[in-house]
Amino acid sequence: MDTSHIPNRRDFIRSAAGTTAAVCLGGCSLSSGDRLMITGHRQTGTAVDHSGWSALASLALEKIKQGGCGYGDIRLMESRNQSLRAEDRRIAGIRERFDSGYGIRALYKGAWGFAASAHFSAEEVERTAAKAVEVARASHLLMKSPVKLADEPIHVDKVVTPWRVDPFEVSLDDKAELLLRVSDVLHKHKGIIRSDGFLWMQRDVKLFASTEGTKLDFDLLAVGGSFGATAKGEDDFQSRNYIVPFYRTGYEHILQHDMVSHADHIAEEAIEKVHATQPAPGKYDLVLDPAHLALTIHESCGHPSELDRALGYEANYAGTSFLTPEKLGHFQYGSRHVNLIADNTRQGHMASTGYDDDGVAGQRWPIVERGVFRGYSTSREVAHAIGDKRSRGSCRADSWASVPIVRIANVGLEPGNEPLDSLIGNVEDGIYIEGRGSFSIDQKRYNFQFGGDAFWEIKDGKRGRMLKNVVYNGITPEFWNSCDGVGNREAWREYGFITCGKGQPGQSGWMTHAASPARFRQINVIDPKA
Amino acid sequence: MADGLILEKDFRRMSDIVISSGRADDVFVSLNDSDTATLRFANNQAIQHVSVRRPKLTIRVAFGNKTGSASTNRLDKASLVAALRLAEQIAQLAPDDPEYLPPLGPQTYLRMNSHVARTANATSMDLAKNTKPVVDQCVEKGLVGAGIMSRSFQARGVAASTGLFGFQESTEARFSLTATAEDSSGWVLNAHRDIGSLDVSAMTRSAVMKAIASRKPRELATGHYPVIFEPAAVAGIFAPFLWSLGAKRYHRGDSPFSGQLNSVVLDPRLAISSDPVHPNLLGESFTSDGMATQSQTWVDRGVLRQLHYDRFTASEHNVAPNPGPSAAVLAFQGETADSVDALIAQAERAILVTNFWYIRFVDRTDLTMTGMTRDGTFLVENGRIVAGLKNFRFHDSPLRCMKQVEAATAPTHGITINGDKMLLPAMRLPDFHLSSVTKF
Repeated sequence: MDTSHIPNRRDFIRSAAGTTAAVCLGGCSLSSGDRLMITGHRQTGTAVDHSGWSALASLALEKIKQGGCGYGDIRLMESRNQSLRAEDRRIAGIRERFDSGYGIRALYKGAWGFAASAHFSAEEVERTAAKAVEVARASHLLMKSPVKLADEPIHVDKVVTPWRVDPFEVSLDDKAELLLRVSDVLHKHKGIIRSDGFLWMQRDVKLFASTEGTKLDFDLLAVGGSFGATAKGEDDFQSRNYIVPFYRTGYEHILQHDMVSHADHIAEEAIEKVHATQPAPGKYDLVLDPAHLALTIHESCGHPSELDRALGYEANYAGTSFLTPEKLGHFQYGSRHVNLIADNTRQGHMASTGYDDDGVAGQRWPIVERGVFRGYSTSREVAHAIGDKRSRGSCRADSWASVPIVRIANVGLEPGNEPLDSLIGNVEDGIYIEGRGSFSIDQKRYNFQFGGDAFWEIKDGKRGRMLKNVVYNGITPEFWNSCDGVGNREAWREYGFITCGKGQPGQSGWMTHAASPARFRQINVIDPKA
Repeated sequence: MADGLILEKDFRRMSDIVISSGRADDVFVSLNDSDTATLRFANNQAIQHVSVRRPKLTIRVAFGNKTGSASTNRLDKASLVAALRLAEQIAQLAPDDPEYLPPLGPQTYLRMNSHVARTANATSMDLAKNTKPVVDQCVEKGLVGAGIMSRSFQARGVAASTGLFGFQESTEARFSLTATAEDSSGWVLNAHRDIGSLDVSAMTRSAVMKAIASRKPRELATGHYPVIFEPAAVAGIFAPFLWSLGAKRYHRGDSPFSGQLNSVVLDPRLAISSDPVHPNLLGESFTSDGMATQSQTWVDRGVLRQLHYDRFTASEHNVAPNPGPSAAVLAFQGETADSVDALIAQAERAILVTNFWYIRFVDRTDLTMTGMTRDGTFLVENGRIVAGLKNFRFHDSPLRCMKQVEAATAPTHGITINGDKMLLPAMRLPDFHLSSVTKF
């Protein structure tokens, strides 16, 4: 290979000392006030000193302007992630990941360029900014209609996730013991052949600065967890799962969910499920609980209401959308009971970060109101395509190394007025579905098929025995138009997601879908083996 | 180009620092460094163009059976040692892992030409220039083009306190196009070590032809149909078969193959092997834990001959461990047809599938899956394509639909949108379950 252009390793790790921006590489001493530093691992501190970030950002923005670009921004980020994985009464892995770097966007004559690097030095920031401009100039070869960004007020702000217990301060002992106690309880049940457990926490420290003057500091936190048990029957096995939903807060969220106290009934239900029968295929009334609906909403409402998809940006990968712009304002997406609201201002929800990666403030807006299609998730780039003057602020990147793209907002099903008992009480022959199972949907988001985690027969208004292998199939607007009741606020629950795949190169999106349970009439339940 | 990737001598120096500073019984270091440029286009213009340099180094240590892992992307000496100490702290706090095994000792790796200079050296302007004729052809035919043109340059390394050391540089170029007409679309995807071997113009013609030929799609009733799968469609249905070859689940009893080793699981003319050095695949010389990859046979004449034994399960059953079924080749051991066109020409009535989308398990016990057809579904009658079709949802398992193969071509490249590159034939199968239909 040709190595003539490759600097040697000594050059690569040369610190920036002596340059205008005195950023040190990892291993520098930390300021004692830095909350990213964690006392449990104080002597190993691998956190970046962020004090030089502002100077580096200025260098990048200057370079972008010099390159003749109309707009540019930089995101400097450090992420710290810790995860613990349990499998069958053992801790199968404890991982901690530090990931830092910066991504620079440049808009040259309406053409985008993006370059990213993990190396914090003044020279490298300037080189990366120049690279972003060079890439934008190459894109310009392929532009017919230049990108125009929707206006946004200039923001200078700091956003910090509120928390009480720092998840990185809780000892690994305590976390591992929690998972082991859960798996001990699960495996006490005869018939449970395997179990798994998971704890996850991430902190993102980020600086966003744009050539327009917006400057935003972020210190964001999120936690989540889950466990599951698999039971073996005679020639079948079935699993049952418990979710501690991903949420933007501290470790207190994990503690509040008291995973151990749920282990017995999860194991019992896995065993009941493996011995349960499968319903005959046919039309059933379904009552879907919030943990299940969260995924239904994500797939059948969240994705089709991303404006970039509706405009064809994802035609080669994630797909397009049946919710095309001419349907806006009149298409009967669902029944009058269906109110799907995007809310990136709701505290704790995964997409509630104050501002998105376009530097646009978080907002609340309707996607579907009384069944009618009302709005999209948008970015500064695509907002004008539906005549909007301002972006909805739903443009996010999954790391410093990724470019921001339109993302599903925190889209939730607003509570109705029926208590859960009445939702079920008005069903003669139906199925109650809880949690997530197998799911698949076409690229325009019409034809879908969903399983679930647990199923109960509903007979004459009463929830009865468990069922298994329930899979239902439908067409999105027909399905939401069959909704004839939504549960009240008492039954409203929130479920965060961190693995929403979109974009090339692929990115993992984060958002929360909250819902009250809802009833759907005469839905097609199929035989999954036929 | 971004500044160069980490070289073998650099990785050796870094891993020496980590290993010599280690206080644990075992130290294992792995590196992944990449420089990726991706041009994304849609609506016949560039929508995104990125150039990303992203290194990552992971350290796993063990005190006895207690293990911990930490990763960082800052690679100076102080940061490496800091990550090592963090991994050691984690390991000391971790409970015993009864399935832990120390790192492998020194291995002998296959030699492969995985690095192609002209791919590594391709610039963002080169990607734009390669894409221009693709977009121009879509515009000329009145179609809307969306896709990617990308190239990446990657360095992988493994090293351990046992003397294990491996390093591989590789390149990969990728091209994909979805050409869309008012009510139809056509799709292609290829990946190759060599950006010059992507065959962009022929692939573009294929996507354009499919978009045009599938205009005004008909809706066909659902049911069981004879089908012709192009290699990408075969890849979609077949990949989950490969993922399910694990011996751990086989012995625990929750594998679809439990009890079927040395039994017939597919058509008796199908063979599955791994061929990491094949020049048209993207094989790696070692797995993520440093095990040498090798040529392997998984299925021969339809009979399941080998499971993927991870090291722990292998030690429990006193057999040799093996690397998993990467760089897979699915071959038809009978007389092969010359091309997809030949499979079409011999068909009385069949549905031709270009690609599948959103494939998910419905039942892992027998590999029943669901998913949608996408970007080029056709009705074949009396040896020729007669119409485009609205897309179907399917419901089937490779263990059923590939029990009997009517005809197949020689293996050619096949990749799914999310999957690895494999070599697979196009196939005509007598019975495939298309369970519902969508609106386009």
